[in-house]
Amino acid sequence: MTVLFLSILTSVFFPGMIIRVKSLLSGRKGPGILQPWKNIWILLRKGSVISTTTSFISRIAPVIYLSTVLCAILLLPFPGIASFFGFDADFVFFAYLIALGKFLFILNALDTGSSFEGMGANREALYSLLAEPAFFILFGTLALLTGNTSMQGIFTNLQFDGASTYIIIIIAIYLLVQIAMIENSRMPVDDPKTHLELTMIHEVMILDHSGFDLALIQIGTTLKFAMYGILIANCTIPVDIGFGWQFLLFVGIQIGFAVLIGIMESFRARKKLAKNPQFIVTLSSIALIAFVLALLITFKMIP
Amino acid sequence: MSILLVIVFSITLIYLSITERFIIYAGLIGFQGLILFALSLLELQKITLGTLLFVAIETLVFKVIIVPYMLRRIIQKTGQTKVSEHALPGFYSLLFVTFGLLLSIIISLSLKTQLSTLVYFIVSFFTIYTGLFLIISHRKIFSHMVGFLVIENAVLLLSLAIGSEIPMLINIGILLDIFVSVLILGIFVMRLKQHTHELTLLKDD
Amino acid sequence: MGQYLILAPVLLSFLILIIPERIRHSYVLILTLFIGILTSIPAVRLIFEPGTEKYILQGPFGQIDLLIDGLSGFFILVTNFTMLTGVLYSRGYLKIYEKKKNQAQFALHYFSFTWLHLSMLGVLMLRDGLSFLIAWELMAVSSFMLILFEAEKRATLKTAVNYLIQMHVGLVILVIAFLFCEATTGQMSFDVLQDYFLRNHNTGLFLLFFAGFAVKAGFIPFHTWLPEAHPAAPTHVSAVMSGVMIKMGIYGIIRVITYLQADFFLIGWIILVFSAISGLLGVMLAIVQHDMKKLLAYHSIENIGIIGMGIGLGTMGLGLHNPLLTLLGFTGGLLHVLNHSLFKSLLFYSTGTVYKVYHTRNIEQLGGVIHKLPHTAFLYLTGAIAICGIPPLNGFISEFLIYSGLIKGLSLGSAYQAITVILAIISLVLIGGLAIFCFTKVFGMVFLGTPRAKFEIPESGSNSGMLFPQYLIAMLIIIIGLFPMLFLRPLITFVSYQFHLTTVHELVPISGIFLKISMLSVILILLVFVVYMIHRFLILKRRVIYGPTWGCGYTAGSARQQYTGTSYADSFAELAHPVLQSKDEYNAIGEKDIFPLPRSFSRHPNDVFRFGLNKLLDFNMLILKKLARLQTGNIQHYILYAFIFILIIFTLLYLKIL
Repeated sequence: MTVLFLSILTSVFFPGMIIRVKSLLSGRKGPGILQPWKNIWILLRKGSVISTTTSFISRIAPVIYLSTVLCAILLLPFPGIASFFGFDADFVFFAYLIALGKFLFILNALDTGSSFEGMGANREALYSLLAEPAFFILFGTLALLTGNTSMQGIFTNLQFDGASTYIIIIIAIYLLVQIAMIENSRMPVDDPKTHLELTMIHEVMILDHSGFDLALIQIGTTLKFAMYGILIANCTIPVDIGFGWQFLLFVGIQIGFAVLIGIMESFRARKKLAKNPQFIVTLSSIALIAFVLALLITFKMIP
Repeated sequence: MSILLVIVFSITLIYLSITERFIIYAGLIGFQGLILFALSLLELQKITLGTLLFVAIETLVFKVIIVPYMLRRIIQKTGQTKVSEHALPGFYSLLFVTFGLLLSIIISLSLKTQLSTLVYFIVSFFTIYTGLFLIISHRKIFSHMVGFLVIENAVLLLSLAIGSEIPMLINIGILLDIFVSVLILGIFVMRLKQHTHELTLLKDD
Repeated sequence: MGQYLILAPVLLSFLILIIPERIRHSYVLILTLFIGILTSIPAVRLIFEPGTEKYILQGPFGQIDLLIDGLSGFFILVTNFTMLTGVLYSRGYLKIYEKKKNQAQFALHYFSFTWLHLSMLGVLMLRDGLSFLIAWELMAVSSFMLILFEAEKRATLKTAVNYLIQMHVGLVILVIAFLFCEATTGQMSFDVLQDYFLRNHNTGLFLLFFAGFAVKAGFIPFHTWLPEAHPAAPTHVSAVMSGVMIKMGIYGIIRVITYLQADFFLIGWIILVFSAISGLLGVMLAIVQHDMKKLLAYHSIENIGIIGMGIGLGTMGLGLHNPLLTLLGFTGGLLHVLNHSLFKSLLFYSTGTVYKVYHTRNIEQLGGVIHKLPHTAFLYLTGAIAICGIPPLNGFISEFLIYSGLIKGLSLGSAYQAITVILAIISLVLIGGLAIFCFTKVFGMVFLGTPRAKFEIPESGSNSGMLFPQYLIAMLIIIIGLFPMLFLRPLITFVSYQFHLTTVHELVPISGIFLKISMLSVILILLVFVVYMIHRFLILKRRVIYGPTWGCGYTAGSARQQYTGTSYADSFAELAHPVLQSKDEYNAIGEKDIFPLPRSFSRHPNDVFRFGLNKLLDFNMLILKKLARLQTGNIQHYILYAFIFILIIFTLLYLKIL
């Protein structure tokens, strides 16, 4: 329950912070921090335009998307607080639950029968396909390092002892940040500001959503950011300090994460679309290097 | 601390396999030289201070300053800036290099080396593999030169790891450095025809 | 008495050939039910109380022993259920052929179907080498007859003959393996394998058996018959073949593993490597297909790969003496056998319904089927979500078991084993991602959007006769997904018995894990329900406008401008081109062309192994043609050949070589 509350708290401020940072870096003042949620509130009260080509898939897909994200958040631990639902190898369930949301989201895009949405759908399917191994290798590394397989066990036993563990944690944070950027279709894989067909992945899939459905999807997206933020916080916050300090550290990390994303989006250009698969596979290679390091540590091959 | 440097070294190798512009090659070779300089200061404990300073300064001067400068001169003089003729697209290069990482781990594990030098063996084999792969999969001679430089970095890395026992090995590595930078790069810089966007025409042709 | 009960189905099956047409289908249904119940009762008993039961048949040829144990029992239950749904489905499906085929052909078809069922049960229950091989051969022959249902098409005939020949290649390998066994132990049976493995080299004979069974199961590189045979056969036959028949190969492999005495780790590693390659290549080839059934056939290859990974993992666990790993591996593999038969047959049945209504299986022409066949679309969606291994359906449960085993296996054994395990995890993750890619493509192209070609649809759609077995399977899929412990408990019991593991303290954490998975799945469904209700409640109050798709100004386009299957698969096919080698046919614009002329583009998927096999066959034909010059037709030449042969024999005898 704490995790759910923390994630909702994060998701309220997170997108606003990113947009604010980007605006400030461009020299503008930017909208208020709560502006994205004000938009969602407006959308929740609007009517919808529904395409006649669509079927029952479009009715249930945004609902399922949001529900899978909520369910996945229920699985997440927080340092010192075990999730009620955690179990061994639960990160597999976590990843596949998100995949369910993505599956129906892609079908929703194809439902409209428009070639734009088809473009976005197949790119989304390809990039999530290529990013999954990085996620699994990362968690495999952490499982090997700590000897536990549940997320709770992994993060509780992740100690900062020795230089090698530091390196693995730094690589883990880097990978989680990049995977979060890819999954939420932000730079350098996709540009959320442009609405040109060549750069759209996520934005193009929601072209035919309106009103309540669009609100559900946007809530889901912000919650996904919060989800990855909690995972990053888990990697860094030590377990044995008081909850007050942990909360402060958590807030600091989330603000840092948002500022980092804002900076990365402002100063990086979008990659050529054909180079994106290469970029995503690079993450898996780096994850493999971390795995090798964990292997050497576990089998006592490093002094 | 040295483990961190070695890991960053291997990440630069992955970046080297996918990048497209020659300037980045020059920058990465310089960065690798910097890492080797830091490693030489950290690792070589058992030899005399004089030899240590000589090795460190030589690495700094040649690998970090002279070689990247010469590479940049070549790029500037001939106007060649991009690796435009790959034999393999970037995606497959990445897969091959990752495969090389696994191969080097398997080879190093079966060698039954001393535990303290295992990481260095792995990264050295990986570096040699990447250097060879650069030479095989690219068509421009500039990339071949960079590949050779990478292989040379691998030799120096391994000699740093076991150099406490075999000081003569380090001296041989240094001599190799000096040979490469003076002879080959000197020829390249001085003898190539300028502003031709070609790397194979000599000055007097 | 028991003996007559066992022989009764065999004799009753011959009646199918003479029963009048009106009651033929009901007769076949009742006969299948009878056979099913007869064999399922001891099977269920043996799964819950592990052991072995023997039934003896005395006949004019001697004694035949039918042995059932937990493993056979499990496969018997899977077989019976899928055959039952097949028979139920065939009533509605075969109506397409009512005008084209005569009664004798229908009768023969049902007869072969029943004999496929009986031969598969025979394979599962017979342990003696000769009778096992006879049942194996009967299985191949009866499925051959079933594929030949549309023999008037030359392509079908060619495919069926190709299938029969490949099955016989597998049979020859099995015969050689059994002969090896007999040469050293004197008996040709599965039970003496234990003695053989105690005294001789394990890996060699195992590889021989593996090769023979792999032809039937469809591991790469023995898979080339699968993608051709499945589209050629009628739908219910494809469903049964894919759902059950290829699992007989898996059954054979597991049966041989139960007798192994040494080399567990190496054999497990070999199976793991073959399975990972089969899984990855199978799904990669599936992505570029246009034919719905061929795509499903390649997915069968992929799922056989996943099952093989579970089995390989279990065998590695036996080698590492880790009971948890063995348990997770084999349970995952066996549960995936059940799950795959369920969702693959469901997908085939839905495809058959689409084929029946639209008369095409080409996804580049279909589209918008969801508006005409909503029930079929829902069932196909269930099957698609299940096959990708996504919670809360059953595919996830078996894949999760294999994942758990692999993740736990990371820290056991040496560093080499950890590298193997991480590569296996990467393969499994990629297989899952690629399956999602493929099924979003198929479902999107076929069911969603608008039709890409003109179709004349009769308004009646599908009749409930075809929907009933599909809903039955869907229900079972959902139950296994939401309440997996119901099925896992007996599986764990008999796997532990089979491999001599101690179960008590392994069972507790596993049941805890699956209880939480069930809870989370139920919470997910409740959440979906609650949010959807809020959604409906609020939407009712708001203004909803219906209009054409906006798509950033798409409204003037035609249906052919939608994303096609080839375009969807293209982003992946580009990356995997060295493996897939698809052929493009495109007449490009020449340099001198000024006026635009009609152009066409088509891309054909290409199976590298089939291509290699064709090259091998062509080479073979070349040599045979050269040798055919010896056949002159002139009898004096033949007498000359005989004389030369006798001369050679005499010379060899003289030189004491012979």
